[in-house]
This record gives sequence, C-alpha cells and structure tokens, in this order.
Amino acid sequence: MTSVGILQIFIFLAIILACAKPLGGFMANVFNGERTFLHPLLRWLEVLTYKAIGVREDVEQRWTQYTAALLSFSVFGFLLTYAIQRLQGYLPFNPQGFGAAQVSPDLAFNTAASFVTNTNWQSYTGESTLSYFVQMSVLTVQNFASAAAGIAIAIALIRGFTRQEKRTVGNFWVDVTRATVYVLLPLAVIAALLYCSQGVIQNLKPYTTLTTVEGAKQVIAQGPVASQEAIKQLGTNGGGFFNANAAHPFENPTPLSNLLAMVLIFLIPGALTYTFGKMVGDTRQGWAIFAAFSAMFLIGVFVAYHYEQAGNPNLTGLGIQNQASAGQPGGNMEGKELRFGIANSALFATVTTDASCGAINSWHDSFTALGGLVPMFNMMTGEVIFGGVGAGLYGILLYCIIAVFIAGLMVGRTPEYLGKKIEQKEVKMAMLAIIATAFSILVFSAISMVADFHAKGYWNPPGAAAANINNSGPHGLSEILYAYVSATANNGSAFAGLNTNTPWYNLTLGLAMIIGRFLFLIPLLAAAGSLAAKKKIPVTAGTFPTHGPLFVGLLVGTVILVGALTFFPALSLGPIVEHFLMQSGKLFSMIPVTQLWS
Amino acid sequence: MWQQILPGLRIKLFMTVVLGIIYPLAMTGLCRLLFPRQANGSLITQGDKVIGSEIIAQNFTKPEYFHPRPSVAGSGYDATASGGSNLGPTSAKLIRGTTKMDDKKNEVVDFDGISLRIVHYCVDNDVPYESSVPLDRFKTANGDLDDVKLIKAFNDEKAPLVFTPRAPIPADAVTASASGLDPHISPESAQLQSARVAKARGASLDQINRLVAQFTEPPELGILGEPRVNVLKLNLALDRELARR
Repeated sequence: MTSVGILQIFIFLAIILACAKPLGGFMANVFNGERTFLHPLLRWLEVLTYKAIGVREDVEQRWTQYTAALLSFSVFGFLLTYAIQRLQGYLPFNPQGFGAAQVSPDLAFNTAASFVTNTNWQSYTGESTLSYFVQMSVLTVQNFASAAAGIAIAIALIRGFTRQEKRTVGNFWVDVTRATVYVLLPLAVIAALLYCSQGVIQNLKPYTTLTTVEGAKQVIAQGPVASQEAIKQLGTNGGGFFNANAAHPFENPTPLSNLLAMVLIFLIPGALTYTFGKMVGDTRQGWAIFAAFSAMFLIGVFVAYHYEQAGNPNLTGLGIQNQASAGQPGGNMEGKELRFGIANSALFATVTTDASCGAINSWHDSFTALGGLVPMFNMMTGEVIFGGVGAGLYGILLYCIIAVFIAGLMVGRTPEYLGKKIEQKEVKMAMLAIIATAFSILVFSAISMVADFHAKGYWNPPGAAAANINNSGPHGLSEILYAYVSATANNGSAFAGLNTNTPWYNLTLGLAMIIGRFLFLIPLLAAAGSLAAKKKIPVTAGTFPTHGPLFVGLLVGTVILVGALTFFPALSLGPIVEHFLMQSGKLFSMIPVTQLWS
Repeated sequence: MWQQILPGLRIKLFMTVVLGIIYPLAMTGLCRLLFPRQANGSLITQGDKVIGSEIIAQNFTKPEYFHPRPSVAGSGYDATASGGSNLGPTSAKLIRGTTKMDDKKNEVVDFDGISLRIVHYCVDNDVPYESSVPLDRFKTANGDLDDVKLIKAFNDEKAPLVFTPRAPIPADAVTASASGLDPHISPESAQLQSARVAKARGASLDQINRLVAQFTEPPELGILGEPRVNVLKLNLALDRELARR
C-alpha cells in the first residue's frame, strides 16, 4: 500500500461525510413535504406527475396498500422492460440494427428482473445486444425507478419508528415522485455534465469505423452513455452501457470521473443516515449508523487493497514487479486499468459491493483470492455497508432490530429501538428477510454445482451447469457462489468469467434477484406497519442507548457474525482455500466438467 | 385495489417519456453544446480521416511505435467487445497460456498467457533474461519465436520451461487491462520500450525519453490515480517529430 493510495481512500470518505448533512437534511425536508430551495424550480413537475398518474398528494396508505403500490410499480416496470427489449428491432434509435435475435426470452426475463430489482446484473454485452432506445427508454428509466422505490421504502420504515398509533406509513406514489423529482433527477443532470466534461460520450451516432495508425480496421461503439452513467452510479444500479462497465474509457475516462463515480454511489446512502436521524428527531442515531458503515467500509477496503497490492505470488515468481514505484503501480494488474492502478481499483470494488451498485472498474474475477473475498463478503452481509439507495438504510435498520434483540436477550429485557418495543412480529419479520436471502444464495449455488443438463440442449448448452465456469479449482466455486450472492443481494457485479447467458442461469439468477428484493422488503414493510401502530415508550435509566460506541460495536458485530456464520463454510471452500493454494503455487487447468459428472 | 395498481402503469409510461426520452435527449443536446469533442468520443483526425480515439487503445506492433497493454477485448482491442480475461490468480491458462486446434487441424495459440508475454517483452525490448532452455530452440524456420512451442514448453508437467527476466517487469506491461481498451501504459513500461523505438527510428534515446516525459500525465490534482502515458498520443507525436526509418 502506498501513502498516496491510503490518502485517496480517506479523501473519498471525507467527501461522503461532508455531503451527509446538507443532502440528508434536504431529503428529510423533501419527504416531510416541506418546501425546499428546489421547489420554485421543480414543483410543477411534481404536480404534473400526480395529475398524470391520478393520485392525490394528501392521501396516505397503510403498509399493505403501500406494498401493493410497490408491487404494481415493479410489475409494470418488469413487463415494459421485457416487451421493449424483445421489440427493439421495430423501435427507433437503433443504428446498429439489433433485434430480437440478440435478446432471447430468457435473457430478456433476466434483464427485466435485474433492472426492476435494482440489481442490474448483465448477462448481455451492452454494445453488441441493445439498441440506444432500449438503453434510454427502459434501462435508464428503471435506473431511476428502482432507486426511487428503494428510497421510498426506507422512508416508510423510518415513519414506522417516528409515528405513534397510526395505521399509515405514507404514500408510495408521492415518495417515489419526490425522490425522483427533487433528489435523483437534479443530481443526475449535474453528474452527466461532469462526466461528459471528463470524456464520457453522449451521442446517438452509429458506431465509428476507422483505420488505425498501423492500418488496421477498428470499430468504436458509441451511444448516450453520460446520461445513463450518472443515474447508474447515483441510484446504485451499476448496469454498464458497455460490457466492461466503468472500466471502459468511455464510461470512466479519468481518475477524476472515477472519484465522481464512487462519490455518487455512496452519496445518497451516506446522506440517508442523516435523513433518518433528523426524521426520528435525534441526529446521533443517524451518525451511529454512519459510524458503523464507515468502520465496516474501512476494514473491507484495506483488506482488499493490501492483498491486491501484495499481488499474485505465481506472477512474482515470473519476475513481475509487485512493489509500487513512482513509475508503475505494481500489484495484481490483471483485469485492472492503469489510470486507476491498485488503490482505486480496490477502493472501487469495495464501494460498489458495499453499496448495492455492482458497477466495476476492474474485474473482480481476476482479483487475488482474499482481495476477491472482500466484495463477496460485503454482499453477503445483505448490502448494509452504506448499501443501495434506501436499501442500505432499511437493511441496516433490520440489523438494528436484531442487534437490540440480541442485547435484550443477554440482559433479559424486552428490546426497544427508538422508543418502540421490538416484539415477536418485528423479530420474526427481520429473520424471515435474512433466511430468505441466505436460502436463495446457498440453495441455488448448490444446485448449480451439481445440476447436469444435456450438452447442446436447451437449458444449458455447455452441459452441466458447473461447466460454464471460466476457472477451475476453488475459483470455479467462487464464480458460481459470487453470481448467486450478487443476484440475491441485488448487487449486479460478477466474477464475470462464468457464462450466465443460458436459460438455466438467466432464469435462476432472475429468480434470486426477485427473492432477494421482495422477500427482503415486504417483511420490512410489514414491520414498519406494526411499528407505526405502537405507542412510544419513554426513555428510562434502563433504556439501552442506541447512539453510542457500544451500540455501534454491537451492530457491526451482528452484521459480521450473521454474515460469517451463514456463509463461512462456502467461503472457506472458495476464496479461503484458494488463498492457501495460491500461496503454495498451485495452478489449475480447466478439466471438461462434463466428464466429472457423467 | 385498482386504486393502487393503475397508477403503476401510468407512472411507468410517464417516466418513460420524461426520464427515458426527454432526459437523455436533452443531455445529448446539452453535452454536444458544451463538450462537443468529448461527447463524440474524443476522436482524433488526420486530414479528414478519423484515425482513433484519444481514450481508446488501438494496437501497435511495429518496433518504431510504443506498444499498449495486452488486450483480450474480442480478438484484441475490439471496441465493440470490451472486456478482460476474467482469469483468476490460480489459473494455469492465465500464467502458462493454452493452445487449440484450428479448422485446418493446425495447433494455434488459444490464449497467450503471461509467461509468453514476458518472453516477448524481454526479447522485443532487450531486457536481459535467463532461460532454462535457450530460446533458439523455439524458433520457426524464418527465425521468429514459435508461440505454440513456447506455450507447450511452459505447460510441460515434467520439465517446464523456466524463463526469468533479470530486470523486474512492470506488472501493467504483461497483464490484460479490464476494458481491453486501456489507452495508457505506465511510465516505467514506456522507458523500457524507449531504446527499441529509438533504434527503429534512428533517433537518440534522449529524444525519445524527452517525448515520453512530455507525454507522461501526472496523477490528477497531484494525487488522484496513477501517472500514465497515453500510447496513441505519444506515437502520433513520434510520427510528427521523428521520421520513420
């Protein structure tokens, strides 16, 4: 690790910290329905939206209605995304002439599930599959929509804690509209312009064909990238315009655009902690969560940075320089871009998997064993280290419920959080969410390790599901495990060597995304409904304070233990054993897997 | 229930118009106005012909040019198929390479591998090395290195070829970039290539090194990112200032 690298990590965290209060306070005002400085400019668009969709701003919903609205929002998003992809050949803005041949039904299902659940997993290669119309009119829109829905749910859950003896938790349509109009859209416009100034492209031209200096033919993909890149990072979506995602020079051309990308990813999740504190009337509660986020973030980033800079001993033996020097970055540079080097690649990988973003600026599949464990572990926590926009906050509030429950068990008192008694129903709902996601990850991974299909058949043309891996040995298990972790956690990054564009993977990964999103947040909305109906109890000498370092420690411990205990066996068979094999110089060749299983 | 469901359809259509059509088209117009060069891909033209993009790598193989980082995008530097190798740290393929049979049943290189890239880097740039078997044994009839033979030698289970450079090789010079379109190399890799370029152009090493220094971009704002050299811009400057021999 170099001092400049470490400095960049702290500068990044300082920016997020500095933005938390202004943006968080602004969001609290927006969702409380107060006037802000943006109202003179944008209030007309908010009003127009309510008129266009036929809802009244002042009518609130119970948690069941709120959930129905969310599901309707998601189902129509899903159907539209599916249909427009399949029909892209008949639609405008399609200079490369892509059609239904590029998008099979299972691929369209996977992509629709992916962009509705804020996962943005990509089984497709953007530049050779989708027309500009699809990229703009469904993918860009879903980037806004799924992010706004995430914020709305977090706000509804906060209202569960702030309200007393009420049956309603807010209005989903109003929350989504406000999140889009006042938060996401203005920030996206600014970010898109900043991106373009750095060299991110924004045009509707056909691909550029040219003759290079040495006389070869090169075709350069084009497209409306900056407008999508902005909301992709800001909404922690992460689906790249191009296959190489934020490693592509047209998506992320400079270290400055890279910093902008990382700031955009953590911006709203960081600020929402302050929104939470302000809405519950005690900003210390918000800062406690921010502190827990930062602690877990720093642990992850330094582990990843250390192992990536230490590099691959199998390469050191060949005479490659692992030490960074003034003239070269050293370390494990396979699958990394030079302008980002080791520090910014490890930092980005941590940021993108802490938040449920899933954009990448380096290939996690080529990380060293323990460097690659960090992104996987981050996602296994359920994306609660800053987390997705909204999703991070409602995820960590779920862990808060479990943490006070555990603390309550230890001292034999009924646990309470923010003045609300945490009882059977809330704990059951929290556990349901955690078990559903663990089930999805472990069961789908296990089935994919052993499922056998006819070679050249429909379900998985390569044959056995395990034959789709790109690396043999423990790394192959890591590839499959990572895929289902990423899908279930709604992250969308990948150990991308695994070929997932087959009906088996497209369907099961799509299903994992839907389980991970809806079986996580419906129990939470139920908990919000039950919390809102409760009376607040006064703080006494026996109340466990949830804003001090003791609680932060307990919260971090709960997140790590729940993650570690559930997934430790799988991790030890994948990245951990690979680490020791890597240290001893063991290499794996690809064995045709079909022979193993037949 | 319809009360909760119908707005879902309406808001989707409304968002498609506002966020899916108006927003990207407005940004396209605005970006073209404010940043016309960047919005169109930072293209470089010579006369009326486009010869490349400043920020997209293109391949250079001739000795009189600096060479970019290895690329596995498509069949190499394919800007319609960006991507990396996705090979992990314990992959034999990554380190030793693999061969395959082509349509005519000739054995050809499937994946070159880091070991082979190191051999070429050392031979091309006169980096001193030790080899367990003299490299002359791996030459074809016309004197070039035979990549297939070398990959097979690296993969030999009993007595694999051991090839060790005497000077450390910069990691970026022999590893594939993430996008396959990385436009930069490290300053150290550029300096290692200078002597070859100077010789091929009949120029002095000083002249070349001066250009390398001139095209070395420091970290942004003094700290962000890595120092780097843009290969295409440097090569175009070479052509402008020094004759090709």
